[in-house]
Amino acid sequence: MSLAIFGTMILLLLLGFPMMIPLIAGSLIGFVSLFGGMGQLDTMVQQILAGIRPASLIAVPMFIFAADIMTRGQSAARLIDLVMAFVGHLKGGLAVSTATACTLFGAVSGSTQATVVAVGGPLRPRMLQAGYKDNFVLALIVNSSDIAFLIPPSIGMIIYGVVSGTSISELFIAGIGPGLLILVLFSIYSYIYARRHNVPVEPKSSWGERARAMQRALWPLGFPVIIVGGIYGGIFSPTEAAAACVLYALFLEMVVFRELSIKQLYATAKSTGLITAVVFILVGAGAAFSYVISFAQIPQQVLGAIGIDDMGPYAILFTISIAFFVGCMFVDPIVVILILVPIFAPVVDSAGLDPVLVGTIITLQVAIGSATPPFGCDIFTAIAVFKRPYAEVVRGTPPFIVMLLGVAVLLIFFPQIALFLRDLAFAE
Amino acid sequence: DTWRYAFEEAMDEVQGIFAQKFKEEVEANSDHTVQLFPFGTLGESADIMEQAQSGILQFVDQSPGFTGALIPEAQVFFVPYLLPQDEEQLATFFEESKAINEMFPPLYEEQGLKLLTMFPEGEVMMTTQEPVEAPEDLNEVKFRVMTNPLLVESYQAFGATPTPLPWGEVYGGLQTGIIQGQENPAFFIESTKMYEVTDYITRAGHNNFTTAVMANLDFFEGLPEEEQTMIQDAIDVAFDHIIEYQDGLTEESLEKIKEAKPSITINELSEEQRQPFMETAEGVEQEFLEIGGDQAQAILDQMKADLEAVGAGSDS
Amino acid sequence: MMAEVQVPAADDDIDDSKYVSGLPGILGIIDVGIARIEAVLLAIGVLLMAFNTIANVVGRYVFGNSLYFSEELNQALIILITFAGISYAARHGRHIRMSAIFDATSPAIRKPLMILIAVVTAAAMFLLTWYSVEYVMSQAGRGRLLPAMQIPVWWIIVWAPLGFFLTGLQYSLTAIKNVLHENIWLSTSTMEGYDDPREEEV
Ligand code: NA
Ligand code: NA
Repeated sequence: MSLAIFGTMILLLLLGFPMMIPLIAGSLIGFVSLFGGMGQLDTMVQQILAGIRPASLIAVPMFIFAADIMTRGQSAARLIDLVMAFVGHLKGGLAVSTATACTLFGAVSGSTQATVVAVGGPLRPRMLQAGYKDNFVLALIVNSSDIAFLIPPSIGMIIYGVVSGTSISELFIAGIGPGLLILVLFSIYSYIYARRHNVPVEPKSSWGERARAMQRALWPLGFPVIIVGGIYGGIFSPTEAAAACVLYALFLEMVVFRELSIKQLYATAKSTGLITAVVFILVGAGAAFSYVISFAQIPQQVLGAIGIDDMGPYAILFTISIAFFVGCMFVDPIVVILILVPIFAPVVDSAGLDPVLVGTIITLQVAIGSATPPFGCDIFTAIAVFKRPYAEVVRGTPPFIVMLLGVAVLLIFFPQIALFLRDLAFAE
Repeated sequence: DTWRYAFEEAMDEVQGIFAQKFKEEVEANSDHTVQLFPFGTLGESADIMEQAQSGILQFVDQSPGFTGALIPEAQVFFVPYLLPQDEEQLATFFEESKAINEMFPPLYEEQGLKLLTMFPEGEVMMTTQEPVEAPEDLNEVKFRVMTNPLLVESYQAFGATPTPLPWGEVYGGLQTGIIQGQENPAFFIESTKMYEVTDYITRAGHNNFTTAVMANLDFFEGLPEEEQTMIQDAIDVAFDHIIEYQDGLTEESLEKIKEAKPSITINELSEEQRQPFMETAEGVEQEFLEIGGDQAQAILDQMKADLEAVGAGSDS
Repeated sequence: MMAEVQVPAADDDIDDSKYVSGLPGILGIIDVGIARIEAVLLAIGVLLMAFNTIANVVGRYVFGNSLYFSEELNQALIILITFAGISYAARHGRHIRMSAIFDATSPAIRKPLMILIAVVTAAAMFLLTWYSVEYVMSQAGRGRLLPAMQIPVWWIIVWAPLGFFLTGLQYSLTAIKNVLHENIWLSTSTMEGYDDPREEEV
């Protein structure tokens, strides 16, 4: 059954069917063969609805909306001008800033999809103007957003902590090392890319120009204050911070800058709704598909067949990495964690592996998988928001995947990358 | 056959331990296989309940609090200070209660479910950032509760600001301070690491988390009688096992928490300190009678009578 | 070669007043009406979601009272948005697809392939329509209530069958349009090619 499902899905995908159809077809075949007919298809509908319903997903449309308002108005441009006044003269400066902004925003907002939109939305046009190629820009945005999985607070780590009984505080701290390492690698790559493609730099801004840019950005600097201050200050949940950004963006663009008319507000809300719908139907269809995988106990069968019980520590860590990488290529990361962690837990335990290290490795694989074709929420979001073809969104991905996988391998052989900070913080 | 059994917790939490014992018993005494599906692998609580109703799952464990959306009477388990605080009395109560063993089954049957058993999961404790010794200490405290009108009512009556927050955001919410408290049984506070982001655990004895195991009704009634008996026997063995397992589990979990976080304060309120909390129960009871469905009054009265019978009447 | 990239501003908004239905006569008028309703639901849904979320914050801090139905209202809205949106997206050819191979084939293959895609997609949507009606009915039958709002759950999910049905309808019309007309149509109103024809370098 597994083979028929995956074969059909890939075929439909390649033929150019709307992306929801491969996922729906995969679930349909699964439901029909599991329950011997169409009798239980209403449960498939239940799962589609269950997929789009989680409260924490509300942050996604809210950040899309806020970002769209900011981009149509002046806020986004003023903020980027400010960044450019400081880094515009550096080779690859804009790309490094984008990667950093994606990492930070993703960390704080807790939503990689929201990051693609909120940071990628305003910065992509500017990077294109600056001379970066679109496939590099798109891959940079999608992959940098996924670093956020590793930076606290990370929902993936919370779920792992709960399922495996591992300290979430320790996981949070352990994620920082690998997260920063990846950001550094992406920055180096951005620099090399900018040199190789001879991306022009802007003349260095004078301090006067910088002061002026700062002054122009004064109002829009309220956004980072709302998001960072609001969330870490314990005023907002990430979802609420997103909605607060919407309100603040409306205030700036409609009252302060007088840039946005009621008519444009309507158009913006509508376009946000449209993007949300085309992404969320995929999230829902993906949930139905995950259900089939989970119900049929496919991971248990596959892992049982390869005999993880008799493996050494390195082999176990590699198997875990591969399992999560493959799983997240097709299925929602949270579901993958929920299904796979309990399967691996006894093996991890008996091999005496550090559950914090395992959690960090898993979170890294989840991050990689979410940015990896064929199925990945952040890829879908990028397609929907930037209206670029699928192939172009993923074409620039390979160098990033190589770097990410490199870090994944390093992490297995040099666990201190993750555990150093943890040991420092939790030393007796 | 392969029977499927889904529950709301992880494999090594109380519902999971119960399910594992049940599986062991069924597989030892029949040719059937039981597949277990822990929290989240087939959807959330409401989803697995529906799947049991439509027969995709043969067995499901859902706490009556969640069942309240379907069977309003089940919310009686959220009325504070109704259940006995003594563990032995509690176990006897679940075994002997007429309300549980005679009045609830028909209500579940109306929903296509065979109620197999209800069992306690442990005393509910509050975890907060500041000490709680009286209802006043909860004033202005944003307290995370499940989305249930009676829980909201209870904490409002305690003086807190009940704040519904999706489960995935609770840990982060406590860390950043959007919320300053939440409640759960000790084993759950331990396994979900809630103690890492709170400083005080308060035992006010206001409730004991209850859960229920059900089978799809058509499936169950379609089984030959000896298989039904085999299932019921397996449930009984698992019930005894879970009561025994829980003996000392609370203390053990609290020990583990203390070991992991020595700075935590665990405070058991005295009978006297509990009094003002208890006095708020009346209002919640009224609310239950309003939203608890046709049989709310009958169930509540019977529960009280049952409690009287095991010597834990509300005359305290 | 890459210097001339313009920032795409609001120019890619869909203008509903220019929408032409694929249906003839009175059906066409109804269809245009439905398109308008979908658009309004999308916009209102998003705005309500923002205000509902903010109201909850205000309630919590200013009045010391969370709107405990807030989460459920957002759930209702996201379902509404998703299902009004999938039909609207189908109208305007905005569903996400991987078109690399499709675009690389010759028009002689692309046209029948597009018809196949539209027919299969429509069939899948109608199938889901049927089973989501069944799901909604079973929810209504069980009488499950939303815990905070105390309204029946089925009220907030009726949009699912409606959305699937209208989406199926759009893909059916797309198939017909491709049979009857020249060119290759992604939807009744959108010809193939991304709306941004600058660099079709897939
Ligand atoms: Na994060
Ligand atoms: Na993926």
